[in-house]
Amino acid sequence: MDAVEKANADRQKRWAKDQKIGEGTYAVVYRGREVATGRKVAIKKIKVGQFKDGLDMSAIREVKYLREMKHQNVIELLDVFSSKTNLNLVLEFLDTDLEAVIKDRSLVFLPADIKAWIAMTFRGLEFCHRNWILHRDLKPNNLLISANGQLKLADFGLARDFADPGYKMTCQVITRWYRPVELLFGCRYYSTAVDIWSVGCIFAELMLRIPYLPGESDLDQIKTTFRALGTPTDEEWPGYTKLPDYVSVGQFPKTPLRDLFTAATPECLNLLSKCLIYDPKKRISAKDALYHPYFSAMPYPSHPSKLPKPAKKESNRPLEEVDGNVEFDGPGPAVRANPPNKLKRKLSDSELGGRPIARKLDFTAM
Amino acid sequence: MDQASNHSISRTTVYEGSTQYRHWRFSPEQLAETRASLNTAAVAAIREAFEADSPGSSSQVSFLNADEENLLVKLYIGKVPQLCGHLHFAEEVEATAITYLKRFYLKNTVMDWHPKNVMLTALFLATKTTNNPISLELYTSRIPKTAPSDVLDLEFLVAQSLGFDLAAWHAHRALWGLWLDMQNLPDVLIDDLRKAYDDGIAHVRASRLTDAELIYTPSQIALACFDLASPHLARAWIRSKQTSPPASPPVSEEDPMLAILKPIQIMITNQGQLPEVESVREVDRRLKLCKNPEKVVGSNAYNKRLEEKQRKADEKRKRKAELVRKAMAAGDPFGSELAEKGDLDDDDDDDD
Ligand SMILES: Nc1ncnc2c1ncn2[C@@H]1O[C@H](COP(=O)(O)OP(=O)(O)O)[C@@H](O)[C@H]1O
Ligand SMILES: [Mg+2]
Repeated sequence: MDAVEKANADRQKRWAKDQKIGEGTYAVVYRGREVATGRKVAIKKIKVGQFKDGLDMSAIREVKYLREMKHQNVIELLDVFSSKTNLNLVLEFLDTDLEAVIKDRSLVFLPADIKAWIAMTFRGLEFCHRNWILHRDLKPNNLLISANGQLKLADFGLARDFADPGYKMTCQVITRWYRPVELLFGCRYYSTAVDIWSVGCIFAELMLRIPYLPGESDLDQIKTTFRALGTPTDEEWPGYTKLPDYVSVGQFPKTPLRDLFTAATPECLNLLSKCLIYDPKKRISAKDALYHPYFSAMPYPSHPSKLPKPAKKESNRPLEEVDGNVEFDGPGPAVRANPPNKLKRKLSDSELGGRPIARKLDFTAM
Repeated sequence: MDQASNHSISRTTVYEGSTQYRHWRFSPEQLAETRASLNTAAVAAIREAFEADSPGSSSQVSFLNADEENLLVKLYIGKVPQLCGHLHFAEEVEATAITYLKRFYLKNTVMDWHPKNVMLTALFLATKTTNNPISLELYTSRIPKTAPSDVLDLEFLVAQSLGFDLAAWHAHRALWGLWLDMQNLPDVLIDDLRKAYDDGIAHVRASRLTDAELIYTPSQIALACFDLASPHLARAWIRSKQTSPPASPPVSEEDPMLAILKPIQIMITNQGQLPEVESVREVDRRLKLCKNPEKVVGSNAYNKRLEEKQRKADEKRKRKAELVRKAMAAGDPFGSELAEKGDLDDDDDDDD
């Protein structure tokens, strides 16, 4: 056996695959474990054979960027190996995601909880941006949460690097509800600010408990955004009407954020408004956000282990072992008893009253 | 701080976390040692394969040594820019493909995998990893005598050999950063600077034919190239980066920063050319006779290996079937599920 083949076989032996736990657009995700330690992992198996162009772009992006990053708030890629014509990514196992947390109506969020989640999101994002990596698909469903409450940026299937400023990029990225207006207007030269807008939308969603800007089509997304934040003036965002796909959707007045986010502190609203500035050049950076007074003002962010979490999904599988830290205990935020709910990571259906589901866009023609 | 110098500073620290810094940097001695031991192991294994094929046959074979292997790889590195010109690929693609090719042959021997197809595969993979994808069909249709399978068959092996470290940092980017930064130097004529940059890029391209990127950082290589192109500008820039006031004396030849550049410059000057075609042709001719018979489709050794693989797969399947049968007999209706999980196998045909 070749040395390379042998090294792969050795790596493969380190991991055992258990049952299927999820299905993504281009991969099947299994629960697994490290044979030597029993450590729980997720194994994302990407079928390569089925692609006529070989290794698929999403898989390549995910592997390329995750190999370069190690940070508490970015999902860790533990290993990569191949089996037959499949590529297997061994990822740290994460219990749940922010979408499931937001949608669990039995959970009550304290302002300190929201602050903790947003702080962790910005920390992970600042690290990505420092590494010249744009995530380009931030949304609650892609913010996974570990057993001890740490939030981690995941799903780098749409990420790219931006070391080359002024490089033309596709605007067909980011799930619609979290997509900034410059992309909706077809801007092809963009940067870190696109991710910041998404964080702004997630921030708002944490307070509202429903998606903040749920447009039903790309055009409606623009309208929904302007309805919420007012139609931008040429002064606040110079030249935006010259963007390639600009369309006029009418004049909407600016309503103060305070009207909708009645309970938020001034610092909180100030940071939120800086994430949702129309002009990408004026939008706050992840680094500046981390220094924003919101994070130093009272209340302090909740400790990750004290953050609300959905009840563990009911075990209906023979091999499922209980892993200790699933129950909420202690003085965390008020948590009502909750019937075991099935966690669905992917689908955002019924619970919010049949809102349209934002689909991941086809970005193959970049 | 201006944007350009901001770039280069944060880059240094980020660079130290990169897989390139952590996995793909060597001393010249380590490189020589790696190649020599790889070659020795390869020759031993292939000799065995020859013997298995037909006993006594390995004695007349003249195997390639590490230098000869390297020479052949270098020839194919030289073909990447030609191909990229022909296909209008970006410099980033070209540089990345060359990096892959060099790394691949730190893990593999040309006697197993001929550099021609590895080069084509590395280049195709680089179009994807640098976010410049092109369809495989289009790619191979524009390269004579190449079929999609030539690339597909090797893509996995190449990615694996790279340890799935797909990100690569290049000197041409660092040179670009220097060029931006030097525009802020006092009294610099933009035409001089542009000329120096153009000459510098030519040196960077020559450096790709050497081991420089496996030994030095992209910014070291870039500065070495700039200094070859214009010592005057490079030194003015170095001086501007040092803490002493601008009136300080010119940078001396003993300056530690310049001392680092010297070996890089010698390497580029001495080794940054394509090899003599005649000498490589001789190596390639011998390679036809000493390549691993296990990798030659249709040879006895190849067929034997195939049979062995088949036998193992059959055994596995039998074991699996046996497990299912036992489980069924024990009345477990999920027997099939049981047999699919666990470390027993990795076939995963369940959801294909
Ligand atoms: N690290 C992980 N730990 C636990 N479950 C995971 C993990 N990664 C993915 N999953 C599950 O698999 C699903 C699909 O994975 P994802 O990476 O989002 O694929 P895709 O990129 O195709 O959306 C997720 O929604 C989640 O349910
Ligand atoms: Mg996903």
